[in-house]
Amino acid sequence: MATRHVVIGGGTAGMNAIRTIREEEAARSEITLVSAEKPYSRMVLPYYLDRSIAESHVFTATPRVLADWGVKAHLGRRVTALDAKANACTLDDGTTLEYDDCLIATGSSAVRAPVPGADGRGVHSFWTLDEARAVLAEIAPGSHVVMVGAGFIAFTILNSILALGAKLTIVEMEPRILPRMIDDAGATLVEGWLAKHGVAIRTGARLATIEDAKGRKRLRFAAGGDIVCDVVIMATGIKTNLEWLKGSGVTINRGVIVDDHLRSSVPNVYAAGDIAEGRDLITGEPAVHAIEPTAQEHGRVAGANMAGKDVRYRGSLIINIVEVCHLDVASFGAWDEAKAEAASGVKPDRPAYRKLLWRGDRLTGAIILGPSSDIWTTNDVGMLKGLVQSGVSLARFKAYLKRNPFDIKPAFIASKTTSALLPETILGRPSKAPGNTPVAV
Amino acid sequence: MTTASLRAPSKRPTPSAARQPQDGYAGKLLRVDLAKKKCWAEPWSPDAMRELVGGVGLGAMILYRETATKGGKGNVSWDHPDNRLVMATGPMAGLPAWGSSGLTVVTIGAGTNGPTSTQANGFFGTNLKYSGYDAIIIQGHAPDWVYLYINDDVVELRDARDLLGKDTWATQDTLSAKLGLSGHMLSVYSIGPAGENLARFAAIQGDYGHVASKNGCGAVMGKKKLKAVAIVRGTKALRASDPRGLMQAADDIGFDLRTDPSAKSLYEYGTLPGVVNLSRLGALPIKNYTTNVSSVDMSQWEAPKLREGFDHRGHQCSACGMHHCHMSVIRQGERKGTIVDEPEYEGWSGAGWAIGAMSDIEGVAWLNTELDKACLDVNEFGWICGWVMECQEKGYITEEQLGFRLKWGDIKGAARLIQMISHRQGFGNLLAEGVKRAAEKLGSPAKDCAIYTERGAAPRGHDHRARWDEMLDTCTAATGTLESGVPVHPTEVGQPARINTFDGEAVAKFIAGIRGRRNFEDSLGMCIFTTRTRLENLCRALNAATGWDVTVPETVRFGRRTSAILRAVSLRCGHTPDLERPSTRYGSTPIDGPAKGQAVGAQWEKMVDTWYREVGYDRKSGKPLPATLKELGLDWLTKDLWGKRA
Amino acid sequence: MLATATNVLRIHPEKCTGCLRCELACSYMQTGTFHPAKSVIRVSPFEGHTSYAPYTCTQCAEGWCMTACPVGAITINAAGAKDVLDDTCVGCKLCTIACPYGTMFYDPDTRKAFKCNLCGGAPACAEACPTAAITYEGTATEDWLGEFARVRSARVLAGVR
Ligand SMILES: Cc1cc2nc3c(=O)[nH]c(=O)nc-3n(C[C@H](O)[C@H](O)[C@H](O)COP(=O)(O)OP(=O)(O)OC[C@H]3O[C@@H](n4cnc5c(N)ncnc54)[C@H](O)[C@@H]3O)c2cc1C
Ligand code: SF4
Ligand code: SF4
Repeated sequence: MATRHVVIGGGTAGMNAIRTIREEEAARSEITLVSAEKPYSRMVLPYYLDRSIAESHVFTATPRVLADWGVKAHLGRRVTALDAKANACTLDDGTTLEYDDCLIATGSSAVRAPVPGADGRGVHSFWTLDEARAVLAEIAPGSHVVMVGAGFIAFTILNSILALGAKLTIVEMEPRILPRMIDDAGATLVEGWLAKHGVAIRTGARLATIEDAKGRKRLRFAAGGDIVCDVVIMATGIKTNLEWLKGSGVTINRGVIVDDHLRSSVPNVYAAGDIAEGRDLITGEPAVHAIEPTAQEHGRVAGANMAGKDVRYRGSLIINIVEVCHLDVASFGAWDEAKAEAASGVKPDRPAYRKLLWRGDRLTGAIILGPSSDIWTTNDVGMLKGLVQSGVSLARFKAYLKRNPFDIKPAFIASKTTSALLPETILGRPSKAPGNTPVAV
Repeated sequence: MTTASLRAPSKRPTPSAARQPQDGYAGKLLRVDLAKKKCWAEPWSPDAMRELVGGVGLGAMILYRETATKGGKGNVSWDHPDNRLVMATGPMAGLPAWGSSGLTVVTIGAGTNGPTSTQANGFFGTNLKYSGYDAIIIQGHAPDWVYLYINDDVVELRDARDLLGKDTWATQDTLSAKLGLSGHMLSVYSIGPAGENLARFAAIQGDYGHVASKNGCGAVMGKKKLKAVAIVRGTKALRASDPRGLMQAADDIGFDLRTDPSAKSLYEYGTLPGVVNLSRLGALPIKNYTTNVSSVDMSQWEAPKLREGFDHRGHQCSACGMHHCHMSVIRQGERKGTIVDEPEYEGWSGAGWAIGAMSDIEGVAWLNTELDKACLDVNEFGWICGWVMECQEKGYITEEQLGFRLKWGDIKGAARLIQMISHRQGFGNLLAEGVKRAAEKLGSPAKDCAIYTERGAAPRGHDHRARWDEMLDTCTAATGTLESGVPVHPTEVGQPARINTFDGEAVAKFIAGIRGRRNFEDSLGMCIFTTRTRLENLCRALNAATGWDVTVPETVRFGRRTSAILRAVSLRCGHTPDLERPSTRYGSTPIDGPAKGQAVGAQWEKMVDTWYREVGYDRKSGKPLPATLKELGLDWLTKDLWGKRA
Repeated sequence: MLATATNVLRIHPEKCTGCLRCELACSYMQTGTFHPAKSVIRVSPFEGHTSYAPYTCTQCAEGWCMTACPVGAITINAAGAKDVLDDTCVGCKLCTIACPYGTMFYDPDTRKAFKCNLCGGAPACAEACPTAAITYEGTATEDWLGEFARVRSARVLAGVR
C-alpha cells in the first residue's frame, strides 16, 4: 500500500512539503491536504492590496495543480484534533483521516490589541486573504487609515496603503517603530524618512478604546489627543495556531518542538513553518521564526524526510526586508544581540545605515538601510546574508569592516565566502524549478 | 561582441531610461559659479549638440562666447574670474566604444594665457554622463577652497580645506574614504600642490594617472580655488539610437586597433615602443636636446622589457581593451612594492631621457608618478629640469641659485625640484613660471638652452628637430599644442601616406591638410588612441549613438571650424603670428644622431608661409580669411573678426 | 561559442582591467539602454586601484532566490540559468535577501527583481570583455575570485595604497 501523508495547512510550509514529497519520493504516495484556506501566499497580499496584482496571483496552487500533483484536498476544512497514538486526525466536518505520517503546518494568525472596540466595524487585521479583501473594500483615495502597531507586518502594507491614495497614521505603543526588526538608530532614520513622505507617526501611544464616531472611527489613548479616521488596521502581533493540538501527544513549547529532521516529539509527526520551533542557525537554540523563508525551508526538509530521504536541517536564519517609500530596510540573524560586538556607520548625504554584529571573527547579524535605487545597497544586502549564513571567518577583515562598514564586497569575496556557500543546498541536491514538480499520470 | 549578442534585449526598457531629446547625450550642461556658490543644469539643444558635438568643439564655443572682454576685442586672462574652465566629455562617452570616458579641458591656460584644449580619460566622462551631464562649465573664483561633488542630481560645492596640500592621489584616496566609495564608483579629477600654488604648467590629474596636462589648466583650477571634481558613478541611463549598430562599430574599431599595423603596437604596449622607435629617428629627446645618441644599451628600453620589469596590472579607462594605462608595482630597488602609474612614452622621455635618466628605469617610473601627484605637466617638467641640469653643468645656473647641485639623471634631485616648483620654494618660484618665462628672466646664454615656443607653450616629449611636422603643428596651433596631430590614415583625408619630414614645404602642406580630424576626435569623449581607426568607423559609431548622418568630410569641416574659433580666441588673447616659432634651442639643428645636420630653422619662415596659405588664414594678422570662414559656415565669425565690411 | 546547458561564466580575475565594459553590455541586455546601475555583473575593486574583478550570479545549485520566491517567479531557463519571469514577479524583494551572494537585484522602476540569466545562452558580458576575463565554458562553477581577492586585498588591509 502506498504511504499515506497528511499535510495540515496549505500555506507556504505545507505546499513546499507537498512539492518536495513529489520530487523526492521513490514510489508514488498518497497525499491528503487539509487546509482552512485555499493555498496562497500571505506575503503577496500587500501587492494585491495595492492592486498591482489580481487576486488570482496570490494562489500557490489551483485545484488543477493540486490534481496534477495528485493531492487529495479538503479545502475550507479545519483539523480539530490530532491523535498521535492512533495516527489519525479529525476534521471539523467529522471526517477522520488516518496517516502514516503527517505534517503540522497551520501557521499563525493575527491577534488584536485587547481594547474595547477592537472587534468593531471598520477595524481589521491584515493576515488572511479574507482580511485583505475587507481592507481593500474599505480604503478609498483620501481615506484616513490608522495602523495600530509599527511592526514588520504593518510595514509590509504601508506602501500599499499610500499607493491607494490614503492618508496614513501609525500608532505604536513602544517608544519606537519596528522594534523587532531594526535597532534604535535605524528606527530613527526610518521615522525621519516616513515623516518626509507624509506619514504621521505616534510612538509611545497606549490605545484605550476604539469607538464609532458618526460613521467614522475614534481612537482614544491613555494620554494625548484622539484620532478620528476611516479605517483601523490592527497589526498588533500574531500567535501560532496551536490550540487544536492540545492533548495530541505532541510536545509544544512556543511552537511545536522539532528536531533537525523537522520531526516533532512523535516520530511520524512533522511540523514546519510559523508553527514549528526549530533550530536557529546562529544561536543554535530552538526558536519560532514566523517568516516566509523559514516556512519554505522547513517545508522542503520535512517533505524530503517524509518522502523517505534523510535530510538534516542546519537551522533557519532570520532575514527580513521591507521597502518603506523607496527606502530598503533589512536585517539578518542576531541583529539585536546586546552582547555582540557591533560596528555601525551612517552616510550623511543619503539615508544609509549599516550595522554589523560579531561573535569572534564571525558576522552573526546585520542591519542595512539604503535607498532602493541605490545600487550599492542591493548588492550588499545579499552579501550580508551570505556572510551571516556561511559564518566564514572574517578575521582578516574585521578591523577594516569596523572602520568601513559599507565596504562589504571585498571582505565577502576575499574571505572566500563563495567557496563556503557553493556546496550548500537545503536538500543535498540542486533545487528544481517551480514548474518541474513531477505530475501524476 | 559577436553577432550572437545582437538579439533584442531580454527586458523591456525601463521608465527611467525615458528618451532624452538627443540619443547618445546625457542632455544637460552643468554650470558652476564658484563665486556665487551655485550649481545649476543648463539644457542644450539637439541642434547645438550637432553643431558643437562636445569636448573641444563645445569648449571652444564657450570660450569664444564667454571670455571676451567688453567690446569683444580682448580676452580675459587666465587668472580672471570670468575665465571659464570647461570640463567636457562627448557623445561617445559612457558608451561601449573603447576608451570612451574622455575628458577635454578647455580654458584660457596659464602657460600661454591663451586657449587650451587638453585631454584625459579614466572614468570622468562615464561617471559624469550617467549622472546626467555632458560637460561642466566652471566660472568665478571661490572665496575659499572647495571641491565639486556630483552624485546624480545632488551637485554641491563642498569645503575642501582639509584637502589642501594633499597630492592628487592622496586627494582621491581621501575623498574615496570619506564618501565610502571605491574603485570607479568615484572619479576624481584634482590638483596637487603645483596647482594650488599656481605653477604655470600645473595639470589636472584624475583617477590615478590620467592627466589633462597642457597649458597650465591646473593653475586655472588653483586660481579658482577648486581643489577637485568628484563624480559618483551616476545611475541614469544613456540611450543609443542604434545600440546594435553601435556595438558593431565599437567591435570593428576594436578589431582595427588590435590588428591594424598602425595601431597594433599601441594596442599591445601602449606608447612604450616610442622610446626605441623614436630613438631610431633621432626624435627621442636626450639631455635637453644636447645629443641624439644614446649612451646606454637600448634593448632594456624595448617595450616588452619595460613592461616585464614591473608587476604590471591593468587599470584601463572605461570600456577600453588597449593594453595601455597600466599600473605597475615596482619589483626591486629602494622603492620596491610602490605602486606607480606605468609611464607613457611622454613619461619615459620627460622624467627620463630629457633629464638624462637613462638607466634607472624604476626611478623614472616613480618620478613620473611624483609629477602626476604634484600635478605638473611631465613634458614641460622635462624641459625645465633638463634645462636646469644643462645650465648647472655649464655654470649658467649656480649651485647657490638653485640651492643644490642637480646633475644629469639625478632622480632624487629632480624629485626635489618637483617639490620646489610645486610649492614655489626658492628658485622653484621662478621655475614654476614655466620654461619660457624662467629662461627669459635669466636671459642668454641660459635662455638659448631652453626648449619652448614663443607663444609660451612647451612641446611634447619628442625631439621635434627630427619631426618638423609636430614642431610646425605645435607652434601654429592656437592651443599651443598639437592641433593637427598625425592621423593613422592620412590618405583618408586626401593626404599622402608618408612624407619626407625634412622637406619643409611638404611638411607644411601635410600639417595643413590633415587639420580637423584631431578636434573631431577630441569632441567625441573618446581617447586619442582608441580613435586610431578609419574616420569612417568613427562616423559609424557616432551616428549609431546619435542617429545622425555625419560623413567623413563633415568631421574634417567640423574640426576646422573648431580650429578657427580657437584661433579667434587666441587672437583676442593677443597671440600674433610672430609668436609662432620655436625658441633658439627648440629650433636648432641636431649635432649628432640620425637627424644630424637637418636644419629646420633654415626652412621655418617658408614652412609657416605655406601653412598659412594652405589653411586659408591671413599671414599678417593671423585671422582666418573671410573666404575660409565662409566655406566653414562661420559667417558670424567673419563679422566679428573683420568687421562689417567683410 | 557554443552554448550547452552546463556552461557557466568563468571569471579570470587576473585578466580584468576594470574597464567595466561588461557592465555596459549587461545593462543593455537587461534594459535595452546603457545603464550600468542596472548591470547584474558588477566589477569589484580591490587594492590600490590595480585590481578589479567582475562578480555575478554563480547560478548556484541551491538557487536560494528561486526557492525563496513566494510566487514561483524564478525558474531555470534553457541555458540553465535562474531567470525571473517578469509577469509573475510581484516585487517583494524576498529573493534579494535570500540570495547569499548578493547577485539578486531589484529595479524600482519596473518593480521587478532581476538577475543574471546568462542572456539565454550567449552572455553579453563575455562577448564584451576585451581581455577575455570572462569566458563562457562548459565547466563546474567555482569561487573564481576568492584567492585573487585574498592576495589583492593585502594592501587595503595594511592601509597602504
Ligand atoms: C501581509 C503579510 C506580509 C508578509 N510579508 C512577509 C515578508 O515580507 N517576508 C517574510 O518572510 N514573511 C512575511 N510574512 C509572513 C509569512 O507569510 C509567513 O511566515 C508564512 O506564510 C508562514 O507560512 P506557514 O506555512 O507556516 O503558515 P501560513 O502561510 O500561515 O499557512 C498556514 C495554513 O494553515 C491553515 N490552517 C490554519 N489552521 C488550520 C487548521 N486547524 N486546520 C487546517 N488548516 C489550518 C491556514 O488557513 C493556512 O492556509 C507576511 C505575512 C503577511 C500576512
Ligand atoms: S541569484 Fe543568488 S541565489 Fe539565485 S541562482 Fe544566482 S547566486 Fe544563486
Ligand atoms: S521580488 Fe519577484 S522574483 Fe523576487 S521573490 Fe519577490 S516575487 Fe519572486
